[in-house]
Amino acid sequence: MSSAIELASAGCRVIVLDMQPLPGGQIFRSLEANMQARPRTDALLSALGPAYRAGLALIERFRAAPGIDFRPGTTVWDLRADGTVGWLRGNAAGYLRAPHVVLASGAMERPTPFPGWTLPGVMTAGAVQTLMKAGRLKPEGRIVLAGTGPLIFLLADQLRRLGVKPALIARTDRLGDKLAALKRVRPAGIPALAKGVGWLARLRLAGIPMRTGISGLQALGGEHLESVRLLAGGKNMDIPCDLLVVHDGIVPSTDLAHAAGLALEWKRDDASWRPRTARDGRARMAPCPSFTTGPCRIRITGDARRIGGADAAAAHGRHAARAILADLGRIARKQGGPDRTEAEVRRTLAARPFLDAAFPPGLAARLPDDATIVCRCEEITAGSLRVAIRNGAADMNLIRGLLRCGMGPCQGRSCATTLARLLAEAEPGRPMPPSPFRARPPLRPLPLGALAGMTGLDPALAQVESLDDKPEEIAGDDVHA
Amino acid sequence: MFAPIGSTEATMTIYLDGRAIPARAGETIAACLLRAGVGHFRTTPVSGARRLPYCMIGHCFDCLIEIDGVGSRQACLSEVEDGMRLHTQDGPAAIAGMEFQ
Ligand code: FES
Repeated sequence: MSSAIELASAGCRVIVLDMQPLPGGQIFRSLEANMQARPRTDALLSALGPAYRAGLALIERFRAAPGIDFRPGTTVWDLRADGTVGWLRGNAAGYLRAPHVVLASGAMERPTPFPGWTLPGVMTAGAVQTLMKAGRLKPEGRIVLAGTGPLIFLLADQLRRLGVKPALIARTDRLGDKLAALKRVRPAGIPALAKGVGWLARLRLAGIPMRTGISGLQALGGEHLESVRLLAGGKNMDIPCDLLVVHDGIVPSTDLAHAAGLALEWKRDDASWRPRTARDGRARMAPCPSFTTGPCRIRITGDARRIGGADAAAAHGRHAARAILADLGRIARKQGGPDRTEAEVRRTLAARPFLDAAFPPGLAARLPDDATIVCRCEEITAGSLRVAIRNGAADMNLIRGLLRCGMGPCQGRSCATTLARLLAEAEPGRPMPPSPFRARPPLRPLPLGALAGMTGLDPALAQVESLDDKPEEIAGDDVHA
Repeated sequence: MFAPIGSTEATMTIYLDGRAIPARAGETIAACLLRAGVGHFRTTPVSGARRLPYCMIGHCFDCLIEIDGVGSRQACLSEVEDGMRLHTQDGPAAIAGMEFQ
């Protein structure tokens, strides 16, 4: 949103494709609708707190900016480095091509395979937040929150305001992580830390039981979740439970960047991939065959580039937009030191080094036992993957072909990092796979009817209307700035 | 597992396997069914295990359900529409007139 506003106010024509029906991404999800539904939503809005409502100013500017062509409910199922974007809206599909593409596809929660994580009744913290914001629902019954990261505390605090009292908050992080992390506190990050301390204090006051340094999480039950087992302070705990909410931090959503043939890098300490980008978000092509040639026209911004949260995403979005405007010659390229938007990016990321050290991956820290499902879609266990690897399968795509791991409807979104780590476990020293499974369009389900009827709904912009793997270079496709 | 925050203001009706469920304009099918206490949206094609939504943002595909005759649609990304007919999906999606193993 901030990128689009910046570009549009400089006179550019901007098309925004958004999977959601309303602007706001996941952080400000359904904010407009919840504001309009007041006073019915007053309790919800006060539980979600001022940081949620603060998004309204940005949304209003986005709605008001002339030159933004907002297309809600639109799924992107193909992206190519030359700026070609395959879209689906309702039952209509087509291609667009633009001289500059800003990819702001956000983050996903770190996949955390543990025994029982596929049972009905196990959900991520982000899922519960989405159900609150967009579904106006709150969890009820016996609830356990398990994992690590600021979102656990934020969610617990929001639940507290709704009068929902979890039976336990089971944290994988320890006090030692916090003490070690204190070294990394920077002055600009202090407000964020103060917020965290406030959440903790209020949860303590509300008498919500909390354990740190837990491990060995298991979800138990037959057809649905019945109880949770974990190891805390050297002792096994069994807690009867209706809803287990897990969270292990968030990682960049790399599916579109990877499919576009952009270079990713493996972050060892974070056990995740992220795209390789310049400071202004410009992506780089991966050194492998791709659908397109020529300069890469994609910039990546927000959490899809580096995890930093809403403020950092908005700041970097503006920064990436300024870089595009400089490319277009609409503003002077700055000389020397960092400009205003770059300084803002630094300020908003100031708390990250502390947060990353204070909340290291927990549920996913150890690789799963042999019996645990890694691939949720095809129900492939870590054990059968280890057997294939021991028998010589040393490549992600080969293993996908052999076992169907990553071949289900989610296309490997939930299992790719775990499989990459299982490969590394088998052969220590071996470099991490440079990317997840090879990706091919469509990246998301595309109804055959839409595919058959595919047209360019925008004659001016949709120069590519065929299904050819490699769209032809079209002269003069730079006219839409 | 989930209860409404405030009143639901349901003005629509959707049907799951023939059962009428009140729905609120603008909510996702997943939210609507979870509020109604539906225990599973689908079973897996491999072991027949029951699944409910896991991520709610379109990543995990555990919320797949049959919507108006079309199988394997993501309930967490689809909004309710009045009169919509949903079916719990057993295993892989069926294609009209065909059954897969
Ligand atoms: S619940 Fe994960 S894709 Fe719908």
